[in-house]
Amino acid sequence: MMLSDTSVAEIRALQARYPVARSALGPALYVAQNQLGWLPPEVMEEVAALFELDPAEVGEFASFYHMYNTHAEPGQYHVEICTNVPCMLRGSGQLADRIKARLGIDWEQTSGDGQFTLGHVECMGSCGTAPMFACTEKTTGKIRYFENLDSEAKVDEALALITAGTAFETCERWPAGPYRHGGQADTNFLLARVDKPDSQKIESYVADGGYEVARTIVSGGKTPAEVIEEIKAANVRGRGGAGFPAGQKWSFLPAGVYPRYLVVNADESEPGTFKDRMIMEYDPHQLIEGIILATYAIESERAFIYVRGEYYYAAQQLENAVAEAKARGFLGKGIFGTDKNLEIVVHRGAGAYECGEETALLTSLEGFRGHPRLKPPFPAVAGLYGKPTIVNNVETISNVPHILRHDAAWYKQWGTEGSAGFRIFCLSGQVKRPGLYELPHGVSLRELIYEYGGGLTDDAGELKAIVPGGLSMQLLDSSQLDVTMDFESVQKAGSSLGAAAVIVIGQNESMVEIARRTVAFYREESCGKCTPCREGTGWLEDILERVEAGAGRTEDIALMLYIADMIAGKSFCPFSFAAVWGLQSNLAKFRGEFADAIADATATPVLPVRPTYRPDTGVPSGMTTPSLPAEEKYNAPTVRR
Amino acid sequence: MPDLVNLTIDDLQIAVPPGTLVVDAARAAGIDIPIFCSHPKLDPLGACRMCLVEFMGPRGSRLDTSCTVRVSEGMVVRTDTEQVKAVREANLAFILLNHPLDCPICDKGGECPLQDQTMEYGPGFSKFIEPKRRKKKHYPISDLIMLDQERCILCWRCIRYLEEWEDKPQIGLFERGGETLVDVFPGQPVDAKTSGSIIDICPVGALTNRVARFRYRPWELMRVPSICTLCPVGCNTRLDERVHELRRIVARENPAVNDEWICDKGRFLHQYVDHPARLTQPMVREDGVLRAATWDEALHRVVEGLEAAIEAGGHQAVGGVASARVSNESAYLFQKFFRVLLGTNNVDYPDGSAVSATPGGLSAITAIGKSDVIILAGYDPSEATPIIDIRIKRALLRAGAALIVINARGIELTRYVDDKRVNKGAYLPVTPGDEAKVIDALTTAIRQGQEQAAKGAKKAADKSAAPRLVQIAAAVLGAAKSPLILYGPDIARGARGRANVTALSNLATTLNHPEALAYIGAEANSQGARDMGMLSNALPGQQSVAEAAVRERLGKLWGAPPPAEPGVSYDEMLAGRVKALYVMGANPAVEPAAAETLRGLDFLVVQDLFLTETAQLADVVLPASSFAEEDATYTNLERRVQRGRMGVTVVGDAKADWAILTDLAGHWLAVEAAHHAPEVVAEVPDWKAKSAKRGRKARAGSGPEHRPWNYGNARHVYEEIGKAVPFYTELRWDDLGELGMQWSAPLAPRQPRKAEPVEVAPLPALPDGGLWLVSGPLLWDSGVLMEYAAEEICNLIPPPFVALAPADFASAGLTEGDTVTVGSEYGSVSLVVRADDSVQPGTAWIPAGLVGAPAETLGARRAEPVAVTVAR
Repeated sequence: MMLSDTSVAEIRALQARYPVARSALGPALYVAQNQLGWLPPEVMEEVAALFELDPAEVGEFASFYHMYNTHAEPGQYHVEICTNVPCMLRGSGQLADRIKARLGIDWEQTSGDGQFTLGHVECMGSCGTAPMFACTEKTTGKIRYFENLDSEAKVDEALALITAGTAFETCERWPAGPYRHGGQADTNFLLARVDKPDSQKIESYVADGGYEVARTIVSGGKTPAEVIEEIKAANVRGRGGAGFPAGQKWSFLPAGVYPRYLVVNADESEPGTFKDRMIMEYDPHQLIEGIILATYAIESERAFIYVRGEYYYAAQQLENAVAEAKARGFLGKGIFGTDKNLEIVVHRGAGAYECGEETALLTSLEGFRGHPRLKPPFPAVAGLYGKPTIVNNVETISNVPHILRHDAAWYKQWGTEGSAGFRIFCLSGQVKRPGLYELPHGVSLRELIYEYGGGLTDDAGELKAIVPGGLSMQLLDSSQLDVTMDFESVQKAGSSLGAAAVIVIGQNESMVEIARRTVAFYREESCGKCTPCREGTGWLEDILERVEAGAGRTEDIALMLYIADMIAGKSFCPFSFAAVWGLQSNLAKFRGEFADAIADATATPVLPVRPTYRPDTGVPSGMTTPSLPAEEKYNAPTVRR
Repeated sequence: MPDLVNLTIDDLQIAVPPGTLVVDAARAAGIDIPIFCSHPKLDPLGACRMCLVEFMGPRGSRLDTSCTVRVSEGMVVRTDTEQVKAVREANLAFILLNHPLDCPICDKGGECPLQDQTMEYGPGFSKFIEPKRRKKKHYPISDLIMLDQERCILCWRCIRYLEEWEDKPQIGLFERGGETLVDVFPGQPVDAKTSGSIIDICPVGALTNRVARFRYRPWELMRVPSICTLCPVGCNTRLDERVHELRRIVARENPAVNDEWICDKGRFLHQYVDHPARLTQPMVREDGVLRAATWDEALHRVVEGLEAAIEAGGHQAVGGVASARVSNESAYLFQKFFRVLLGTNNVDYPDGSAVSATPGGLSAITAIGKSDVIILAGYDPSEATPIIDIRIKRALLRAGAALIVINARGIELTRYVDDKRVNKGAYLPVTPGDEAKVIDALTTAIRQGQEQAAKGAKKAADKSAAPRLVQIAAAVLGAAKSPLILYGPDIARGARGRANVTALSNLATTLNHPEALAYIGAEANSQGARDMGMLSNALPGQQSVAEAAVRERLGKLWGAPPPAEPGVSYDEMLAGRVKALYVMGANPAVEPAAAETLRGLDFLVVQDLFLTETAQLADVVLPASSFAEEDATYTNLERRVQRGRMGVTVVGDAKADWAILTDLAGHWLAVEAAHHAPEVVAEVPDWKAKSAKRGRKARAGSGPEHRPWNYGNARHVYEEIGKAVPFYTELRWDDLGELGMQWSAPLAPRQPRKAEPVEVAPLPALPDGGLWLVSGPLLWDSGVLMEYAAEEICNLIPPPFVALAPADFASAGLTEGDTVTVGSEYGSVSLVVRADDSVQPGTAWIPAGLVGAPAETLGARRAEPVAVTVAR
């Protein structure tokens, strides 16, 4: 046995947390990885035995998620730099150069002393505090974010902390404390408490009147149906990206079918979004109160918070908060002294963007690869473990206590007809003051970028392009600054409000590079199920890489448009749209840049050489063939990659 | 019909049952929708995106996968729009991006759905100039299957097959996105027993058959529909021949029998057909050595030898034993030859008359999927009949059936009795020979439950003395509405077997489902051999030899009635009750005791494919043809009569068994004729004259009028079977078609339907330190055919072993891999020992048919339980 008795006991305990043991597969692999540093096949076999699974089922699960080391053991400290577009716009390239120089290693290398491994990752939810790296301590599995690393001195300081071995005394972001946030004074609700001392503690939350709404309503202040009606009336649209009205979703549950589950989607992975992280790290009780109210409304006794694996500190804060609330009788059996029960399980994912899609999230939570599944049946009818399930975003659920503290009319005093209320806008990219801004729906991009964000950074030049709703949404250009940020207006402008993640791109950026980096993300994060996304995204990246390398061809623009068109909407889940909207709008609005890059081509495209499947025997022939030169040996072509 | 859903596909109005997938509805209407991941027998997935079609709705049209959308009333679908065409073209371009296009060296080339669809719907040229992605090429994922990850297009069919049908998810998707691979877990080859099915359903050449690899190009093959003769399921197969060699076997669809799956033995075990060791000409023994002979000479020697034996010891001195793998035609003529020409009922096959079988076997294979409780008594489907095994798993995992296993060993399916995904079942361990006791206890417990319910006792005051497991099983069965009780030969032999089967029959009667009881034989044509009367105690049509009316009826057909005196059984014949023996396709000499008997015979004829241990002892050896070389019929375990067709030309001078028997009868009758007409002796060939002279005294003036055997082909024989066996009359040769026909169960001879008392002798005392020998079938055993199989398959045969319960293993102070001596009153063998928790304490498990036949040597096939000792 490679697994220690403690690890086995831990895994057994994890299995007991879920209605179906297999759900604990992901957490169990973390236990094994923390013990051994990585997951060699032998240990996966042992885990498989504990779950009564075939080893192949564990192998395929582990290799899907990027946070499991299935190929090699990393160094003690795994430094992973986010290189996605928001970080790229704020100097992640420079950060990488600095770190490479300091550690003396390149991408995917481990330092000679086994201390450091360098890798790059996709968006970590630090877009407002870019550039950054996340560091994983191999022996404990702890992850800490090091942010705002915009100078040599800060990089040195961060690395020194890690080298000194004291970096993991806490997993709170470095530098500590909530990152920049602000907004309109009269809509400061969701982030109102984050600056208070010990804002994440239950004492502080209760002192601010927390859990009173939940107590009142659960004790009979409103019936579940009344709660659903109120949320429906408030027209709270989902904050995850699709904007589906939460109350309406809740009312889809089939009558009389139990158990029901609430799954909170805390897999905040859309590049440009970092709002849920703030709530979970600095005001987790707000979310838990929202969960209590939501589960009361949908008559569920068990909720899961699926937190993306990288959000280690957020998961810790949630675990603590759940324990605190349980100790006070707000969770567990007979909450608030009523006959209602509620258990909350905090479940960490392991690095897969696709798991933000609700059916893929449920599949992942059940202990499988994060592939989306067939709809219908929709999760509200047959979701987690085949039972009626509501999946809502963290911010959506966090809105619930505020609305129920007042009423739907109160909430609707802000926002527009179709987009009620206020929300947290994530502002990142080349602005002076990136951060979270809590504002009513309908604020204009100009106001957001120039008033709250302070305008573009000095070296960015003029505004060139804006991503209004997260990296997967269509780009807007500088002529569209007066578009207001509500679902209807952004849609009218040719894009989507999505998760209200605004990425600002300045004049000096290459749109070809933006396109390539965007497509690379979707190539990296495609789950691999459907042909168009799996194959098409890689093809697009290959072409863009070639164009960037100066080997573009005139026909490449039309080809990219064709490929993008044949991906969009042709796959199983909305990923196919997300993967190409950025590129399509980029090509539509900034086609000239692509044409210029192609016109400036200096190299000719390298035509692929077909691989040789029959290796040369190396044995000289005893025969002579007159048509072949005697001395010249046939050289098998080699493959470029 | 009111139950149909109406929809329109490409302007064609069609009506299909509700729940039908659009892709299937289109197929039924003759509209081709290209697919890769979709498969009629696998759950919808929607991954490959080939089948996108346009759905017209009030808010405009949308694209969706026809393999995941089910039909609805008034649905309008178009598969022929510009958009659909463009999407198919693009999707094929995507699929081909990283596909290696090594078609010229790919086994699938020529029968490849990817090639075909590219021709039909593809772009015609590639816009892709980037380098292709490299993955692992041609490496084995089991002894039988090769994987090429570059060719794989990630349709998940193999993964889903193993998951949905085998419940053995041994192949999975690894990595993700563009790096996604299909693979096995490191060091864990695929070992599902029907794993080869994934080769058939792979839409590209990613999975190839290691035995058949590079031995054909698909377009060169002659494809002949046939039947597998390796187990009684009778899976439908196709024989692929090229230049007179059987190149491979693939599954053929028959929803009633094997869906479109076959087991690995049926697929990969065929090289024996073309093996150079095949017997190609008759042989006769001269001066103690076998030498080649002509058919005339060899058959004459047979006539002479049998005549001499009858002369010396009477009709009961000769006998014939056969294998139940032979065709109906051969079995029928075999018994006819002995009954009519040799005047004896001494014909039998292993597990023939010794076994208490149900007359009609299983009501239908598809009944498995409709039953709610399945009882397996002394029958291990996983090893004996893998296709039944996957049907049972499907019933358990998908149709809500529960499983009860009554066996001396925890067979593979035992894992489902306590599986959370399956309704609760039970495993009742039994002591070999004492099964009836447990079955009886179960019946009693059920009856008590029924009586209590009848009395209206609200609380089932459980005073039952039955053990807990029996109570659980009784509770499961008490609620059964459509139970199925399957048992095998291992608990049905001899007097104890009769008691067991009576107990099972009582159980079925108690459950009010007497038809639920089904015997599953060991060999391919067990049912047919029984129907043909290849039994010492029964005539064609499963009629008792004792029935004078039946003998008379057959006498009219045959020209001479069968003898009234009952024959001796297989075991008795091999224990020395006959002086001359005719062995057709069986190999009794692997058992040392039987070999001893064979050596002591006056005359031995062996008719077989190879010079088996038995053939080596023979006076005359006759070369027979394999199933692949002859037209014939076989009757499977659900009474389905199916035609096997000639797929390859027969080797050398070998002949079909029935043809040899016809020729032999011709010789015999010629000699007989000579006996009765001495005046024409001068006109018969020299050898006939000689015989006639010698036999004249004994024969002159007696003997019936024999009719000549004019069977020019198997069909002629089959037509006579229709006259001899009443329930075959309806099944005309021409009507059998490619899917076969079942004979009607109500025509089967009546069985007792009343509960009978079970009388069974107490088990003999187990000697000190002794263990009861438990044996049973193994798929990859080392039978005669396996000896001549491809190397890849031979790797699957385990080295001979004995397995003990961990407790017995530990208390004997053994270590894994020790060589031990296992002894019984019949013999002793040296085996490697292992601990196995599926083995019950107090027993020793040695599978049947291992190399060197250790179980058989120790007496495993005997009707009485055998005690063995295990010593280092």
